[in-house]
Amino acid sequence: MKCLVTKSSLFLLAGSLFFATNGFADTSYQALLADESNGADWLSYSGGYKSERFSPLNQITPLNVDQLKVIWAYQMQPTGIGGAGLQETTPLVAGDIMYLTESPSSVTALDARTGRMLWHFVPDISNEVLNIGFPRINRGVALLNDTVYVATLDARLFALDAATGAVRWQTTVADNAVGFSLTLAPLALDGKIIVGVSGAEAGVRGFVDAYDAISGERLWRTFTVPAPGEPGSETWQGDDWRTGGGSTWLTGSFDPELNLLYWTTGNPAPDWNGDLRPGDNLFTCAVLALDPDTGEMQWYFQYTPHDTHDWDANQIPVLVDGEFRGEQRKLLALANRNAFYYLLDRETGEFLLGEEYSYQTWAEGIDDDGRPIVIPNTEPTREGNVVWPSLQGATNWFSPSYNPQTEQFFVANRRMGAMYFKADAEYEPGTPFLGGGEQAFDGDDASGAVISLDVMTGELQWEFELQTPPWSGVMATGGGLVFGSSNEGNFFALDAEDGNAVWNFNTGAHIRTNPMGFSVDGQQRVAILGGQTLFVFGLD
Amino acid sequence: MLLKDKPSKVNPIYAAVGTFVLAVCVSMPVFGQDLENGQQLFQTLCARCHGILGEGGEGPSLKRAQLSYATDDDTLVSIIVGGIPGTGMPGSRQLRGGDERDVAAYVRSLGQLPEEPMPGDPTAGQLVYQDAGNCSSCHILDGEGTGIGPELSNVGLRRNVAYLRQSVINPEADQPRLVDRFRGTLNAFLTVRIVSERGTYEGMRVNEDAFTVQMRDVAGNFYSFDKADLISYEKALGHSFMPGYSAALSEVQIDDVVSYLMTLRGEN
Repeated sequence: MKCLVTKSSLFLLAGSLFFATNGFADTSYQALLADESNGADWLSYSGGYKSERFSPLNQITPLNVDQLKVIWAYQMQPTGIGGAGLQETTPLVAGDIMYLTESPSSVTALDARTGRMLWHFVPDISNEVLNIGFPRINRGVALLNDTVYVATLDARLFALDAATGAVRWQTTVADNAVGFSLTLAPLALDGKIIVGVSGAEAGVRGFVDAYDAISGERLWRTFTVPAPGEPGSETWQGDDWRTGGGSTWLTGSFDPELNLLYWTTGNPAPDWNGDLRPGDNLFTCAVLALDPDTGEMQWYFQYTPHDTHDWDANQIPVLVDGEFRGEQRKLLALANRNAFYYLLDRETGEFLLGEEYSYQTWAEGIDDDGRPIVIPNTEPTREGNVVWPSLQGATNWFSPSYNPQTEQFFVANRRMGAMYFKADAEYEPGTPFLGGGEQAFDGDDASGAVISLDVMTGELQWEFELQTPPWSGVMATGGGLVFGSSNEGNFFALDAEDGNAVWNFNTGAHIRTNPMGFSVDGQQRVAILGGQTLFVFGLD
Repeated sequence: MLLKDKPSKVNPIYAAVGTFVLAVCVSMPVFGQDLENGQQLFQTLCARCHGILGEGGEGPSLKRAQLSYATDDDTLVSIIVGGIPGTGMPGSRQLRGGDERDVAAYVRSLGQLPEEPMPGDPTAGQLVYQDAGNCSSCHILDGEGTGIGPELSNVGLRRNVAYLRQSVINPEADQPRLVDRFRGTLNAFLTVRIVSERGTYEGMRVNEDAFTVQMRDVAGNFYSFDKADLISYEKALGHSFMPGYSAALSEVQIDDVVSYLMTLRGEN
């Protein structure tokens, strides 16, 4: 591995004394607790433990957004790794420094004011690394105190010195040779770093891990597929659990008052042949509420029992406080890949609401217990079976946004069906374990939209149509805007009130990441990655 | 901000069509490799992005006569194994011992057409193309002609007899969709009608995003519009600017020009 210490980082080293004495770049746990209300920084993947992806900054409004201009741009560093050409990172900003990842697992620190590089860390990842079922990407870092944490494609976790990029420690989370990878941004809690794994397409048994932030020692591991005798094991037969999937590949959320960590899980394995794993296949396609001190599961809710369409529940669980049907509740909102929007009580896991938010043909609805009422003959077949949504779902990993001031829930929505096929599957470690697949089909004029839902009812308030199903998330702001982007390269702002477009910039490249916001020198900034280029916008 | 009508269910016939396409492709030998093995490996390693029939998904369709990154078979094998830096194509380095060539052969077979007998005389068909059909007034062939419709220099690689005949007789039968199924991009021959304060414009969409649309008319003029400025914007699915030739050409002439088109394989 190598770490480029630039001239700039020498100044940074000198400046770190200044930062320390002034608390300029506070990335302590206390600062993370206040991330939601701190518009100047963006200290964790979703902009705070509630995962609202909401920037409270309000300098940029529908009235002046047409004056936005590019303040600076940063070009990603070239890599010799095949397939590492997609970028899905959400940058973090602490004080005057921005931290972002570059595919497959590099980390770059930039001067947030100018975009000049401070340091660049490249882990020693082999071109032979396995990534089964997903691209060679990384979604970002976690910050805690003076350390940057990055999870890598070859299933390691690194702790880097925030000032220089030097490695403080590294640990192997899992064995890449059998299909484990890490692509998510870790979540930093008080003294702990939480990570999850990818690999259900290789038939791994998923888990969530916690590591000591200082030493790198593993504190606990919670499997998402129970072993025989454990709760939920009755939903598996024989040895199916050993290759059961349930990946945990997207960053979760955290409620410090309830002391509960919320983490989502992906598909059972093999993906499309449910005959090979009869039962509900707990705890796949679910959200888990975990005790962050022990990893013990407090409750779970399974969105798609016995999934056969690869509808991972790895979407962002957004923590919402408000009045639901006349009662003040602590809620967990999630727009699922299966085309339904859900509200749960996040203290108990009680199902409260399940409403269709995107066209689908597989379920008549959600029953009173939260279980989908599945339409017969919508499973994959050997001949192919047409179902909406496609395997990539009505939305996917890219983030929704919640404006707590207006109780609007914004989702980047994919509108696309697929022909689903079932096939044989035989498990072999380190190889795909799929049991079928899908095929896009002629006549499906797939499209997309950014939609606004009433967070308490799931009712559609407005939509802004996109040419093609998007691969990028959204961010609402205190200025009454919703930023989003498109495959065609548009980075745009919508008026949050009515969904009308009020600004658009052509980045010139496919966008497949999330917007984020921060401020530097008192000026609001909005950032997006288009292709290999990070653009930072502002009024001045 | 009107809500879009929900799309209707697609007839399951597509499944049968897909299976047929697969069967045709698999039955064809390509540089002596094991196509069945290549298909199985493709469905395991490649189908997640390229679709289980190779017709595209998150990754592009491979059902093409010519693959833009793989101009020869060695390059195709190299890409399948090593990926393409700067893109999302990772490569499958575990493929060894000839499996990589089997996958390449299968991929190559996806875009190949089965051998078919010519229905007419291609030499006579070339004259029909030049004279009675006046095809070069709208098509470019080996650098000659006008580029209103698709270039035809390698159409014999891409289209079978039935498709070519249908295109000559009834061009609108293969309706341009919003998205080109086999390219995963916008359909370049979608007819659009745009009304702005400057006037009314009809032509073919060249490109489009959520905010702008670019088109060119049959005279080759290029136009760019901001959607917010438009009075109306219609996409005429199923319309083609090409006239049907069932009245202008005899059956023999149609067979001849189809035969001529079959000989166009991009070799000039």
